[in-house]
Amino acid sequence: MADPYQILGVSRGAKPDEIRKAYRALAKKNHPDLHPGDKAAEARFKEIASAYSIVGDEAKRALFDGGKIDGGGAEIHQVPPRSSYRQHAEGEPGFKYDRQWSGSGGGIDEDLFAELFGRGGRTNSSGADVNYTFSVPFTEAINGAKKRVVMGDGKALEISIPAGLKDGQILRLRGQGQPGQGGSEAGDALVEVHVEPHPAFRREGNDIHSVVPVTLGEALGGANVPVETVSGMVSLAVPKRSNSGTKLRLRGRGVPSKSGAGDQVVTLEIVLPAAPDDELIRSVVEWEAKHPYDPRKVPGA
Amino acid sequence: MIGESELVALIEPLDAEALQRWIDLGWVLPHRDDEDLQFDIADVARVRLICELYYELRIEEDSMSVVLSLMDQLYAARRALGALASAVAAQPEGVRKRIAAVVDQNRNH
Repeated sequence: MADPYQILGVSRGAKPDEIRKAYRALAKKNHPDLHPGDKAAEARFKEIASAYSIVGDEAKRALFDGGKIDGGGAEIHQVPPRSSYRQHAEGEPGFKYDRQWSGSGGGIDEDLFAELFGRGGRTNSSGADVNYTFSVPFTEAINGAKKRVVMGDGKALEISIPAGLKDGQILRLRGQGQPGQGGSEAGDALVEVHVEPHPAFRREGNDIHSVVPVTLGEALGGANVPVETVSGMVSLAVPKRSNSGTKLRLRGRGVPSKSGAGDQVVTLEIVLPAAPDDELIRSVVEWEAKHPYDPRKVPGA
Repeated sequence: MIGESELVALIEPLDAEALQRWIDLGWVLPHRDDEDLQFDIADVARVRLICELYYELRIEEDSMSVVLSLMDQLYAARRALGALASAVAAQPEGVRKRIAAVVDQNRNH
């Protein structure tokens, strides 16, 4: 059996990273689905995959280096047979993946055969897809919206923003791309939607994070305070003895989704009055003199 | 035909978010049954291939669109050629020989 190091073109002392890189480079060059009909590439790919399955795996590499298994990895390595993509791509007439790029549906087939049999060029080809980009306000992306947007090329599109849309999501609008020729279907509009940042809300998965200012009295004594959510104002119960940084969860007030809405996570921030007067200062300083505490002390340290 | 969650469970490194993105990008074209997505055996093989190229060989998203586009065109061309070849094969021997002679001549020029 051939030496797996030699097959991958690396030294015996190569670091795992080097081996991985060498494998990737060789695999890209020889991948059978990217080299249809190239039997030599297919054989090389099998060899490369088999070599990598040994020296790309620390345990198997150690066995091989110790002479416990040979280069074929016969004892432990069997490449499971897999259905190659090529079988389908070459086997099925009218294969659907032919027609999706550039939307021409023409490509070699029609051009070549038209020339061959004097059919006189393409007469019916579906239209090309067109790419667009636009931005929506944060809350529209969360709650969903229907919008009419005029794109840079003057095309007006009716866009339905699904609730919970993520930044960078692509919406496919069927039939809104280039018109087809000779009665064929029009292409699609592919709209990449960006979500504008919000001054108060931040999204993390399906949760919305925000900061809510409270007074010293509200934090210590507890209170119900009004809080803005993506779906309107709600009343938040601040428990007694809350602190700056205390996180409270408003269940179901986050991003709507199929598996149930996320939450809004509110972080409290104690805010002193803009101009604390002598009475406040005196009472707090006197209290602290009697009950000193060190907020900079790390708990448990 | 299998559904979306079955496909995600079947193919090891695949997660639902990546699959959705690939569908959005047009890399995978499942059948739509109302709101449900259905994947046939060719879709499954294609997703497996994309996983291999994406996760193992680290072909990035932008490059992948180019790779898949060229790959699809190559396969379409090969099938067209295959159809032509079987049409030629069905001709009488004299016709086949004449075609072969002209093809040889053109390929060497």
